Amino acid sequence: MTDQPTQMSPVKLGLAVAWPAFWTGMPIKIVLALLLLAMGQHPWEFPGLAFLLLLSIPVDIWAVGLSGRTVLLERLGVEPPASLGLTLWWQGAALYATYGSLACFLERQTIAGSKAVVARILDLELLKTIPIAERISIELTAWGSIAAVVLLALALGGLFLFGKLVQRQADAASPAAASYEARVYQWDLMRVPADQPLMLTVFTAVGVSMVLMLWAFMPVTTPHPHESYKQDEKKAAPVLKPTEALQKAERVLTQAETSVQALEEKARKNKGKAPEKKAAAKPKKA
Amino acid sequence: MSGQPNVLEKVIAFVDERVGLKTLQAKMLNEPVPGGSRWAYIFGSVLLFIFIMQAVTGILLMFYYVPSADHAYASTQYIIHEVDYGWFLLSYHFWGSSAMVVMVFAHMSQVFLWGAYKSPREMIWLVGLALFGIVMGFGFTGYLLPWDQRAYWATTVGVEIMDKTPIVGDFMARFLKGGATPGQMTLSRFFVIHVMILPATLMGLAGLHIFLFRKAGPAGPFRGTPDELKAKTDYFFPRQIWKDMVAMGAVFAAICSLAFIEPVVLLEEATPDPGEYHPEPEWYFLFLFQLLRLKIFSGEFGQFLGAIAIPGAFMALLAALPFIDRSPERNIFKRPVALIGWIVVMAAILIFTVSAIINREFLD
Repeated sequence: MTDQPTQMSPVKLGLAVAWPAFWTGMPIKIVLALLLLAMGQHPWEFPGLAFLLLLSIPVDIWAVGLSGRTVLLERLGVEPPASLGLTLWWQGAALYATYGSLACFLERQTIAGSKAVVARILDLELLKTIPIAERISIELTAWGSIAAVVLLALALGGLFLFGKLVQRQADAASPAAASYEARVYQWDLMRVPADQPLMLTVFTAVGVSMVLMLWAFMPVTTPHPHESYKQDEKKAAPVLKPTEALQKAERVLTQAETSVQALEEKARKNKGKAPEKKAAAKPKKA
Repeated sequence: MSGQPNVLEKVIAFVDERVGLKTLQAKMLNEPVPGGSRWAYIFGSVLLFIFIMQAVTGILLMFYYVPSADHAYASTQYIIHEVDYGWFLLSYHFWGSSAMVVMVFAHMSQVFLWGAYKSPREMIWLVGLALFGIVMGFGFTGYLLPWDQRAYWATTVGVEIMDKTPIVGDFMARFLKGGATPGQMTLSRFFVIHVMILPATLMGLAGLHIFLFRKAGPAGPFRGTPDELKAKTDYFFPRQIWKDMVAMGAVFAAICSLAFIEPVVLLEEATPDPGEYHPEPEWYFLFLFQLLRLKIFSGEFGQFLGAIAIPGAFMALLAALPFIDRSPERNIFKRPVALIGWIVVMAAILIFTVSAIINREFLD
């Protein structure tokens, strides 16, 4: 029912731990990268990259520990050591720094070499008539296949070495005494926190904080304006000076009062003259 | 006092009595997942999440977008430059459509590799294929709406390809264009298809897809003894929901990151003269576009073969797959033809997509 350490190949063992660990840490790293982007920092340039790598360390320790404990308990039937995450992380980091650098160098050399060889073959007089679209696809397939095979071999080598590190941990661990079902139950308990409402509350609070931070950091208008787009010229609102505004209002009101008084005066005078005019205007009856 | 229900409990009881809320909740959440929850099962839920986000951002964009040939470009520029966070909403919507295509490919690949299309799940597979077509339709119709040179010429190329379909091709091309060249009628029709017809169809088919899935139940892993599967069998809530939520959060963060890294920047306004611009479709149609550049697919018949006959035959093969492959074996490592076929198709799509990108250097 389970693979014993001796029965499970190092490549398989390495993959069983590294693959889920990668995906376990990924969501947290994406969120961190997004916040850096919102703050105007590129996660692949110096200050942003250093910040992201630094924050990734505890995430990776947790992720590799989680997937490592799962594999050791469920698939290998051994009790995972308490410091499994930290041990696998530093050993894996040392492996990546040495083997990873070497693998990157070899892969780059393979791509450059295979590209040059394929281009030289296709430059032969016999093959010069190949149309451009076909030539691109043939070149890509040829050097891509070589590069893919080498990459696969290097990846298998890396997994083999990482699997050996996991195997060392498994060999040193004591066997889990329980049945398969009991071990699955134990594995379940290990993954699910004891205080679930607390975990959900923390998770929600972190999520809400992240969203608020994202909106707070995000630029309101586009950081890449179109070269031919003319931004709307917003007219600046006149500055309001309260004392001047009040004095102006008082002047207007005084003027209005004077005008009203003059009009009333005029109306009163006209009222007094009106009957005389009426009488003068009235035609006499014959 | 403690035995008395509070106001919230009374409201829930009131609604439950009339709607059957608790039965519905139990039915939704207590679905057994054979072999337990898995990250491989997240794609369907993530697709639903992306669609909801596309609908939300699309509605917000519609508050400002004007679907007329005179104002489409200007209103899109206005969204990018003047509307608060408009550039982000548009860029999210743009990258969300790409995420939807990637997720559809991932979902279909998972179902194919896990043999989950086999009996009794043939109907789920067929409805899924129709949904795949609708997602592609969303991408095609939405691409025209900004009304810049890229939009105009990608649509022109797309409609020309469609025109090569026998019997219905001419009608479909004329119906979509609404005239000799893309113009107001084209924009109106693409807009209506994009914001009304396709969303309504997708909602209906997605509902049917989920109904059929719940009817047949999850297929479960293709490996493991019955004892192992039984020991690990779990309910949809909480493990699978937790995984789905984490995946949704990661996809949301990834789309937001892409919106920051590569926000939407329009080209010049659409004109019937391509000028310096080399027409090209959206990236997920690039492999087909590059395929049509091969000499074997030149000429009227060659173009029909590359643009219509081969993709059509491939889709027909996918539709017939559950009825051709009737073996109950689901383990992909015991189905070499299926595994090799999947690798070849994926490699071909990758090679031709990258070739199309390299080909840009040779166009001038």
